[in-house]
This record gives sequence, structure tokens and C-alpha cells, in this order.
Amino acid sequence: MTKRYVLVHDENKCIGCQACNVACRSENNVPESVTRLQVRIEGPYGNFPHLHFKYNRVSCEQCENAPCVKVCPTGAAYVNDDGIVSVNENKCVGCLYCVAACPYKVRFINPETRVPDKCDFCKDSRLARGEQPACVSVCPTQALTFGDANDMTSEVRRVLDTKPNYQQKVNLGTEPRVYRIPSRRGGIKA
Amino acid sequence: MNNIWGSMEQYDPVVWNWIIAVYLFMAGLSAGSMLVAIGLKWYRQSRGLPTEGLPVIKAAAVIGPVAICLGMALLVLDLTKPFEFYHILLNYNLTSVMAWGVIALLVYIPLVFVFAALVFEKQVLHYAPWLAGVLKVCGLLEGSLNKLIFALALGVGVYTGFLLSAMISYPILNTAVLPALFLASAMSAGSAGNILVATLFFSKKESDCIEQVHRIEYPVAFNEALCLVLLFVGLNFSGPAAQAATAAITTGTWASVFWIGVVGLGLVVPVLASTFAPKAWRHTKGFLITVSCSTILGVLALRHFVVYAGQSYIS
Ligand code: SF4
Ligand code: SF4
Repeated sequence: MTKRYVLVHDENKCIGCQACNVACRSENNVPESVTRLQVRIEGPYGNFPHLHFKYNRVSCEQCENAPCVKVCPTGAAYVNDDGIVSVNENKCVGCLYCVAACPYKVRFINPETRVPDKCDFCKDSRLARGEQPACVSVCPTQALTFGDANDMTSEVRRVLDTKPNYQQKVNLGTEPRVYRIPSRRGGIKA
Repeated sequence: MNNIWGSMEQYDPVVWNWIIAVYLFMAGLSAGSMLVAIGLKWYRQSRGLPTEGLPVIKAAAVIGPVAICLGMALLVLDLTKPFEFYHILLNYNLTSVMAWGVIALLVYIPLVFVFAALVFEKQVLHYAPWLAGVLKVCGLLEGSLNKLIFALALGVGVYTGFLLSAMISYPILNTAVLPALFLASAMSAGSAGNILVATLFFSKKESDCIEQVHRIEYPVAFNEALCLVLLFVGLNFSGPAAQAATAAITTGTWASVFWIGVVGLGLVVPVLASTFAPKAWRHTKGFLITVSCSTILGVLALRHFVVYAGQSYIS
């Protein structure tokens, strides 16, 4: 069966420390002014004494049905054989159609290459060597689980099958491959 | 959303800027002027009236090619890699509206030049007599060429709308009305542009075809207004995110652009002017120029409103 790489972000375990953000920046040489990944700390939600924050991972959702790929006129935004939504720098003309069309607003123009950039699950570096993406391996609370959801024995499959989870903006039909385990503390609008 | 930590700088939902708005306007202007000119030609031919040397058709032969070329130049300069734009001519992803636009424009642009060359045949042959043979062949095919240009102009007008409506997360843009709205407003801009250029440069006295162009202005303005109403009424019924986007016409700078530019200059001024202006004024140069400029500014405002307000509300 083909691989279906997914990422699960557990909002209960996350403490918003940005270790993932920093690890991503150094692994992928992301220029200072832009970011492939951040964990937004939103809130506070709830009412005193039940106040809490939401940790919202913002990075490419690796949509199964990716709007960025559909709109790209040249095919520079494409789905790789492993299912990972990628950018072919050579074919790109920089029309920004994909940046505008991405519902999650996670594509940005890399000031060095002048083409769109975003999370690709470290596919050319760590994943190619059989390692976990940088953010996953560095997370101190193990809030991130990554793997092949089509592999019934994988950890990520077990997490998805045993914990409540949600995806963002499912109504748009993008079928994101970033899943989130909602905070147990209630009061949050997903 | 109340963001406590995290820079939002990179996440501005407004990605496409005024350059795209002006391009969409230029493409619409070119397509609209061709539609109006060819339509007028067919109308007159069907009544056995002469079509040679009509000021409006000459005007279209200027606006058609010039507007689309200026628009394309802006578009290419706006790319982050303008010198590699040829990739867009080599690779076609057919799920992309933009790729279809490229295909349509690749045929449309040369044909518009042929149209212009046939209208200004004498002048062209004066400077480039070696084109005589080519123009003769084109002249024989003129009937079919006009049909093709008409179809392609419809395509160009509609594609500029679908280009935006393919972006699924913007409620104002992601509607089926948008292409119709863009086509209708392209026709207004086209007819106003034709009248403007005809009055300024080509008209001697025969205002009769200007009159005929005027006649299509009412239905076109009506369609444009109808599309706008449908757009916002539709949004109001399409769930909370879309409903929130209707604020685009009630709050903020873009609401003023909408009411003053799109509705005021684009629809109210031209319709009132043609309805209530005293007969004596109607064919004066000043009147024609003022009214057509008002319509053109209105359509330009509409493109800006749609591009900016459209991207400001995200579901
Ligand atoms: S999140 Fe955006 S960039 Fe990532 S696959 Fe989906 S549409 Fe493309
Ligand atoms: S900016 Fe590049 S990758 Fe994005 S749609 Fe345009 S050509 Fe494709």
C-alpha cells in the first residue's frame, strides 16, 4: 500500500515552547524573516478559574486534496510520489497563486530562492535518511507523532485510532494530513 | 482569534495586490472592447449598414491590443521571478485556471493584433507593405476570425473571474457569480472605453454608432448590478464565514470604495446621466468623455474592491 504520512499534534502535551519552530529553522535553513512552522499561543479561553491557552500548530497541512497544487499553472506545486506536497523551484514562475489559494496561509516566498516555501516533513533530509522530521524528534513533551497512517502497526495509526482528534477547515474538502488532539480542558472552539 | 504569541506578519491573507487588480481590469477592458466592437459589427451587417471605418470599431482596434499588452506586462513584472516567466508557457497544469488563461491569451493576443491590422489596413500597409499578402488572407477569413475572437474574448472575460473564484477559502471570491460579474463589468468597461477613444480620436460627427453602443449600456449595467446583489445576498445565506464577509460593503475603506467607486461612479452616475441629462448635452464630447470615464473608473474600483476585500475575509 502507498504511504500516507501524517502528523498528529497533541494540544494537551504541547507547552508552546517553540523548540519545533527552532529545530525546523536550523534543519531547513529557513531565513530569519520567515517561518515554516510556528505554534501560536491563543487565548486565554474559558472563565476564571478555568482559564487556559490553546496551542495551535501552524505549518503546511499536507492536504490530500491540495488547493495549492490544483491552482499552480506550471505544476511547480506538486504532489511527490510519497504523497508529500512539494515545490519544484525550477518550474515556478512566482505568480503567488498557490500562496493566495492555500486556505491555511502557510506558504510564503522564501527571500533567498524567490519561490514559495513551506513544511515538507523534512522529506529531502531527515525523512530520506529514515529519521523523524526535526520538529517531531526535538519536542520535549512528545506532543508530535509522525508516521505512515496506512501502516496499521505504526504508532501514528494507534494514536489516531485511540484518541479523539480533529483537522482544521475540513469543510473545505482539503483533507489535511495534520491531525490535532484537542485540549481536554474545554472552552475551545476548534 | 486572540493571538498571544506568534508573529502574524507572514500570514497576511491579502496576497495578490493592486497590480493583479489592474491586470484583471485591463484584460476585461480588452475583452469587453472586442466583444462590443464585434457585436456592433454583426448588428450593422445584419441590417445591411456599412461597418467600414466606424469610430467605435477603430477604438476597439486600439484598446483591444494595447490594454491586454499593458496588462500582461504588469502581470509578468509582478512575478517573483519575472525572467523565468517562460516556464508558464512550457508547462501546463490543466487543473489550474491560470493555465487555461495562458492558453486562451496565447491565441487571443495575436488575433486581436490581426483584428487591429485589418481595421487599420491602409496605415499598416503604408508602413509595412510586405504584410499585404498576410493581410489579404486574414481579410478573407475575417468572418471566422471575428467569431473566434468573440469566443476567446468571452473566455478571457470569464477566466479573470474564475481565476479568483478558484480560491476556495475566500468566501467573496469563491462564488459562481464572480465570473459573470467580471464579464458584465468587462462589457461596461469595454463599451465605455470604446466610446471614450472613439470620441477623443476618431469621431467626426457620426455619433450614430456611439448611440448604438449606448444602447447596450443599460442592460450591461443592469446585469452588473444584479450580479452584485446576487453576490452579497448569496453570501448572506452561505454560512457564518460567508456572512461575516458581507461586512466588506459595510465597514472599512473597501466599503467606501464599493459605494463611491463601484456603485456611484460605475453604475449610478452613468445611468442617471443617460436618463436625466438634457438632450442637447448627450452628444457633446464633454458629456461622452465624462460619463465613459466615470464607468471605467467604476470598473477599476470594482476590480480593486474584489481583489482586496475578497482576500481580506477568509473562511
Ligand atoms: S496547507 Fe496549504 S501549502 Fe500545505 S498542502 Fe494544503 S494548500 Fe498546500
Ligand atoms: S508561485 Fe510557483 S508554485 Fe506557486 S502557483 Fe505560481 S508557479 Fe506554482
